[in-house]
Amino acid sequence: MRPVQLRSTQRRPVSRRDFIRTSALAAAGGSIALAGCSTSSSKPSTKAPGKSSGTLTMSQPADATTMDPQLQGDVADMNILINMFDCLTTRDSQNRLVPQLATSWRAVNPTTWRFTLRKGVKFHNGEPFNASVVKYSIERMLNPATASPIVEFKDAGVTGVNIIDEYTADIVSNAPTPIIPQQSALFDGVMVPPNYIEEKGAAYFAKNPVGTGPFKFVGWQPGVQVSMEANPHYWAGAPALSQLIVKPVPDSATALASLQSGELDMVTGLVGSDVKPLVGASGIKIVSVPGIRVYFVDIDTETAGPLTDVRVRQALNYAIDVNALVQVVLSGYGQRIATLFPSNAFGYSSKVSPFPYDPAKAKQLLAEAGYPHGFSTAMSANATNATLLQAIAGQLANVGVNVSQKTYAVQTFTELDYVNHGSALGPTYVVNNSGWSMDGYSYLQSYIRPTSRSSRWNNAQATQLVTSEQTSVNPATRQNAFDGLQSLMVEQAPFIFLYVSDLVLPMSTQVNFKPNALGMQAMTNASIASIT
Amino acid sequence: MLRFVLMRVGHAAVVLVLVATVVFFLDRVTGNPVQVLLPPDATTADAQQLSQALGLNQPLILQYLHFMGGLAHLNLGQSLYYRSDVLSIILQRLPATAELAAGALIFALVLAVPAGIVAAVRRGSMADTMLMSLVLLGQCAPAFYIGILLIWVFSILIPVLPSSGIGGLSHLILPAITLGSYSLAVIARILRTQLIEVFGEDYIRTARAKGLSSMRVIMLHALRNASLPVVTVVGLEIGSLLGGAILTETVFAWPGLGQLTVQAIDNRDYPLVQGIVLLFVTTFLVVNLLVDLLYGVIDPRVRLS
Repeated sequence: MRPVQLRSTQRRPVSRRDFIRTSALAAAGGSIALAGCSTSSSKPSTKAPGKSSGTLTMSQPADATTMDPQLQGDVADMNILINMFDCLTTRDSQNRLVPQLATSWRAVNPTTWRFTLRKGVKFHNGEPFNASVVKYSIERMLNPATASPIVEFKDAGVTGVNIIDEYTADIVSNAPTPIIPQQSALFDGVMVPPNYIEEKGAAYFAKNPVGTGPFKFVGWQPGVQVSMEANPHYWAGAPALSQLIVKPVPDSATALASLQSGELDMVTGLVGSDVKPLVGASGIKIVSVPGIRVYFVDIDTETAGPLTDVRVRQALNYAIDVNALVQVVLSGYGQRIATLFPSNAFGYSSKVSPFPYDPAKAKQLLAEAGYPHGFSTAMSANATNATLLQAIAGQLANVGVNVSQKTYAVQTFTELDYVNHGSALGPTYVVNNSGWSMDGYSYLQSYIRPTSRSSRWNNAQATQLVTSEQTSVNPATRQNAFDGLQSLMVEQAPFIFLYVSDLVLPMSTQVNFKPNALGMQAMTNASIASIT
Repeated sequence: MLRFVLMRVGHAAVVLVLVATVVFFLDRVTGNPVQVLLPPDATTADAQQLSQALGLNQPLILQYLHFMGGLAHLNLGQSLYYRSDVLSIILQRLPATAELAAGALIFALVLAVPAGIVAAVRRGSMADTMLMSLVLLGQCAPAFYIGILLIWVFSILIPVLPSSGIGGLSHLILPAITLGSYSLAVIARILRTQLIEVFGEDYIRTARAKGLSSMRVIMLHALRNASLPVVTVVGLEIGSLLGGAILTETVFAWPGLGQLTVQAIDNRDYPLVQGIVLLFVTTFLVVNLLVDLLYGVIDPRVRLS
């Protein structure tokens, strides 16, 4: 009843090892990898130079909600829209900030960033891209009536765009804004077609998107798939793939089954432990890169009790075997971090090292602080971090710190975090935070300054340093501030520092794709080998 | 008869208003959707601005009156997440759920009726024990377990069926079996019990005494008399199949209302949750009314008034 593109069957043989692996997991009823049969895409046999060829089908855990890139804030939407729309800047596969619709940029002063725009770019409907488009796009997103959930520019105090000439535009704010170019690589900097939206209306645009991106919209069957085709006139040259299909498959076991059978070419939205059963499966490779999601424990350093003592907080850090957590919780797909920064973020300091795992030192510090037999505290986490919470509590118990655990639904946890610096979440809670701008700014903005949403650390020096990095547009000044902040964090231990998780993408060995850290699957350079 | 139907429709309208009211307020007890819409690093000011833009900062009673006013015109409002009309979102997903529910019910009935008859006729035999144990297994095993096992067997070991998605009969088979196995057990067991009871009745003895074949006795006399409670159960099962497909739809990536419900609840998409619940309630009410009407057809002793 629903037209679904049928693809010629292609199956990989199931080896005995695959069989045993999946059977054992099926019996356990866990999240498992199973293969399914399918109608799978006939991949065009060869790729002519400069021409798009091949269909890539990937899954994600949720369906798209809208095709209007300024009305969404979910990875499920971004994965799709990033392929049809361009932003002013972007991140390449090495995570470098590189030009996209802007060819260069500079800070004219701390509150004005000037972008020189790419010439000759057209939207899929032929509408030209120029400075008026930048003004329209950014001001549409900022307009409260649009009700856009995209907040980086708004929080940075961006007030609007001044057109300097046809291909030059200034983004202006009411406060110093150091990372506008980095934030322009996110959907704050996405460019939408003014004439098309004004003519057809926002509701039509949200179902029939028109961007400047490498793929053009073909169709959206809610709950089934979003189809895109190559834009042969893409300013950077036509993409390697001729068709891109994104399907929502909420169950990870089903998604991995479909990958093994060839129904899917790539599965997104998984964590390391999901893909463990696939390691070594024939025809499948697991591509992983360090991501942008960091995990740590937020500590209330201000309410009277043991946690106000820096020695106690250091002891908690010494007591945690982070490498073991990475193995247990992420099946090894993660890296230990010294503070709240992953090494791929601007501002990362190589001068600080993580706390070594040293339970004896932890016990000694607790004794010095007056807690030779440890103490009791509470720790909460959202449901997705329940395993991590359990593991941390177990490790802390080994040095005498008894942790009563509390797990909340993700939404409830987020809501409690908004109120009174998360005090309802108790003296300690597990946080996962994504630094979308890949700048230290994003990693610290909610946690350091005492007035910040989730800050429970009042340190004058830290506040002064965070002010410095948030208000300067000079990279050297900012790096100095970040260096100071990271040293201070290790010294004062206002958090229990844990790890950054990897972005994990199981895919067919036929697929050639290197993701960057952001986790939005921009498939411009992805290709798929022929199966004949 | 007409009076009966009109009275039931009147009752149904009252139930709908009550349910709409309860769902409206219960929805809002679960928390604020704005924090779910915004990224985790959004500020309180961002949350306030978005609340205002979505009309969520209005007094609750005003929001309620607005919702009920819309409902009177069959306007269920705009989804907070999809930013489009709730009714059209639901109608888009309804055919897939109806297809799955129909498939599951057909699967359940086709197997449950013969299984119930055989188990009743051969009561206490090995066949009875085997059949009832087997259907009990279907009732006990959760959908995600049956579903995953079916995928393993029929998509990998004997690769004949697709593992997920929608698109024709081949896609329907595994989800329909998964969803229908619970109903199969319920229907088979109630049919067996009823038949056993009916077999002891005088009119069955009379029918046998007349020399009718066993087949005729079962099909013409016993089955019709045993079917009244079965029809009730089937009616209830239709409601459950429509509303209870959440796990099955998740396992098989089936684009129906079940998946939409999960996402709407997760996202605290109040208007969408309200719309879906009202649809499910309406379905139950309509099916119950049909079952009551069917009673009169099956059993002439039942008079509707």
